[in-house]
Amino acid sequence: MLREDPRNGESAHRSSKKPKLSSKFITESDIRDEFSHHQPRVARINNGSFGSCPGSVLTAQRHWQLQFLCQPDAFYFNTLRHGITASRKIIKDLINADHVEEVSLVDNATTAAAIVLQRIGRSFAEGKFQKNDTVLMLHCAFQAVKKSIQAYVTRAGGSVIEVRLPFPVNSEEEIVFEFKKSIEEGKSNGRKIRLAIIDHITSMPSVVIPVKELVRICRAEGIEQVFVDAAHAIGSVKVDVKEVGADFYVSNLHKWFFCPPSVAFLYCKKSTSSSDVHHPVVSHEYGNGLPIESSWIGTRDYSSQLVVPAVLEFINRFEGGIDGIMKRNHDEVVKMGKMLAESWGTNLGTPPEMSAAMIMVGLPSRLCLNSEEDAVTLRSHLRDRYEVEVPIFHQVSKDGEEEVRDMGRFITGYVRISHQVYNTWKDYEKLRDAINQIVEDGKTCKMLYTE
Amino acid sequence: MSLNHLFSHFSLKVEAFFFFCCSPRSYHRFSSYMASSLHNTPSAAVNGTSVADAKSRLPKRPRLLADPTPPLFTPSDILSEFSHHDPTVARINNGSFGSCPSSVISAQHDLQLQWLQQPDDFYFNQLQPKILQSRTIIKDLINADHVDEVSIVDNATTAAAIVLQQIAWGFAEGKFKHGDAAVMLHYAYGSVKKSVEAYVTRAGGYVIEVPLPFPVNSADEIIHEFRQALQRGKQNGRRVRLAVIDHVTSMPTVVIPVKELVSICREEGVDQVFVDAAHGIGCVDVDMKQIGADFYTSNLHKWYFCPPSVAFLYCKRSINNSDLHHPVVSHEYGNGLAIESGWIGTRDYSAQLVVPKALEFINRFEGGIDGIKKRNHECVVEMGKMLVEAWGTHLGCPPEMCSSMVMVGLPACLGISSDRDALNLRTCIREKFGVEVPIYYRSPKDGEDGGVTGYARISCQVYNKVEDYHKFSDAVNQLVHNAFTCASLPN
Repeated sequence: MLREDPRNGESAHRSSKKPKLSSKFITESDIRDEFSHHQPRVARINNGSFGSCPGSVLTAQRHWQLQFLCQPDAFYFNTLRHGITASRKIIKDLINADHVEEVSLVDNATTAAAIVLQRIGRSFAEGKFQKNDTVLMLHCAFQAVKKSIQAYVTRAGGSVIEVRLPFPVNSEEEIVFEFKKSIEEGKSNGRKIRLAIIDHITSMPSVVIPVKELVRICRAEGIEQVFVDAAHAIGSVKVDVKEVGADFYVSNLHKWFFCPPSVAFLYCKKSTSSSDVHHPVVSHEYGNGLPIESSWIGTRDYSSQLVVPAVLEFINRFEGGIDGIMKRNHDEVVKMGKMLAESWGTNLGTPPEMSAAMIMVGLPSRLCLNSEEDAVTLRSHLRDRYEVEVPIFHQVSKDGEEEVRDMGRFITGYVRISHQVYNTWKDYEKLRDAINQIVEDGKTCKMLYTE
Repeated sequence: MSLNHLFSHFSLKVEAFFFFCCSPRSYHRFSSYMASSLHNTPSAAVNGTSVADAKSRLPKRPRLLADPTPPLFTPSDILSEFSHHDPTVARINNGSFGSCPSSVISAQHDLQLQWLQQPDDFYFNQLQPKILQSRTIIKDLINADHVDEVSIVDNATTAAAIVLQQIAWGFAEGKFKHGDAAVMLHYAYGSVKKSVEAYVTRAGGYVIEVPLPFPVNSADEIIHEFRQALQRGKQNGRRVRLAVIDHVTSMPTVVIPVKELVSICREEGVDQVFVDAAHGIGCVDVDMKQIGADFYTSNLHKWYFCPPSVAFLYCKRSINNSDLHHPVVSHEYGNGLAIESGWIGTRDYSAQLVVPKALEFINRFEGGIDGIKKRNHECVVEMGKMLVEAWGTHLGCPPEMCSSMVMVGLPACLGISSDRDALNLRTCIREKFGVEVPIYYRSPKDGEDGGVTGYARISCQVYNKVEDYHKFSDAVNQLVHNAFTCASLPN
């Protein structure tokens, strides 16, 4: 059977196109089957947090798990390494990396952050970096990354610059401006910036960052290394690591690339420094290169790393393959976002072109969402009372800034809706109606807490 | 119908069902099949050749679960529980990767399904209470004082990284002086040695290996070597910051007198003691207060019937070791090792959550885990003696220094003369004879000539049968009969 070329984007090497017979493509009913294990009553519009995995891939995973349980020694000696290499090769092609040695499989972006930052910590300890040398990150970086910086950089004597990005955001220029400003500030204090950590798609609030431009600025400004935390990227936006140009690039495959929990790839551009990157869990493979170190970190279940071929098969049942999926997810989430904003009289947190398969939608100010606690309360209420799963962001008001209002009051809360192949319009209507009901009942977040 | 026939017939049916079920629609049904599990109603006891025969009468272990008491397993139940094992293989290497019964795998599948159904709900409402439940059970099993002392991690390899990273910080932050020492056994596990290299040597520490005799004749030999190594450690004004001691070494396998060695460490002013008991729980007695170490890790997927993979790391409460962190840092950083380890990013935590189910499984054996340990030990000693008699060789240690595994000398004429030979011979035995057993090469000492240079590490777990060891015996006899030598094997 002819297969769609799995590369993202245009490629000169596109193999024979998939025959355009609609009967060859996955049907709506097939998709429902594939995700029949999802809780049917829940409007699951939070694909961003924990991802999703179709039944056929789960079945493939079971097959691998059974092979191990059946005869683990034979599996370890004869099967495991080949399976991991096969997955790595597929990923190398998908992300346009030069060499498969640049691609390691790890559990998740959190692990990748530990790998990159532990190396920074060693550089401080071994005197390669001086006290107060700096790491630069976005203010809205994922909490685990912030804590990793604390654990490995601050503790080792390094300092941190946080780039405050505007939100809601109107254009990429606003982000580029703030980024340049932070670098200037850092350099004006005489500090050497050793590493910049840039999200490809921020988590909360979710915004697609112009990474290519920011990496270029980093190079122009003499920042030694750049680590792109693209936890949400693969399966959500185009991923071309050569184009992005970072030294390290990580993306989770279980979020938007239909793998089971959990597996991510960490790309490390080949260079003199990339030889000193190690997995923190040290096995007998220590010193054999990160990909090999990561492929054996003690006895555990590696099956989620082995199903990448099965995932590709699944994706290629869709019209347009992963490109088609990405485009449809994006178009739908924007459409649904606009529908919600219109119904609630609120706004989107970003222009459509700065969102991928997720978008931030303002919540009615009448909900009086004024704290993290309020956000958690509202989210739990939506889950328990209305069976809607959606993460909620509390927008801290900043002095002196233009703030968005609806009907006179500030918008302080946003939902992050997502769209993946299993979603239907009903999911978003359920959310729309739930919020409208709460507002109609005159409830604020604080009142929901006491219920 | 013989037991063996029944066994292979059943496992074929199970295999066929798995493949039949490989369509998306039937994933649910697949899951419920596994959930209903293979708990047969106990049939009449069969007078089989199982070494897991529940004949020995031991005082009943106090149950950690409420009554009513489920019935004890019969040999046929046990066959069912391990029907997913390759029936063509004599599986006498439980030590490397462990084993897990289908009722526990079923429970694991249920938990995995719960996550997949609604991960946010599982994350917010289920995951942490379930991890705490597993930790609490382990705390009781190992006689720890507080559940805070018990963290759950993937495996002993991860635990080593945690303990050793702390040592690296000690050097980096100037708490330790360049050249301060860490002591470990020469037979320490490969990844532990590499971890010591990565975190201690690299940070400026000096590493001392304790040479241990093998074959070994008594615990005193080990104690003697250990004392000497500690003296070397303290030379030149060095402090010994950490001693890493195996409870049961891997290759070659020997039960180490850890309690005595820990006492010696305290006497000699060693800062911290880390016991690597990868093979500990379910294999030897594991009592934290009795052993007295600062850190103690053991895998639960080796001898405690959990799926891959899950281990506990015990950290005795003290000011000395409040600074342990999981190397994979999440938003839980700073909330204590146990909480940090309870969330290290999105992944499958299900193996950590089935500890209650593993305990249920174990308590369906006469004498619970103590009964299992005792019978495994007696079986492996008996089988070991049978093999050395058949081959004219010897055991690597006296019976009281082995647990559920023992080293059995291989005939010298096989010509094992390198690690590579040992690995190649192992592959040959797997592929030509259907026996899975790890092989250890012991280089001859000065003056030794034509002696035993290779040992097989046989193990015994509840699913093993006498036939497994006969199969191995016959395989080696066949090789000897054919005048086989390792030199003839392709590289």
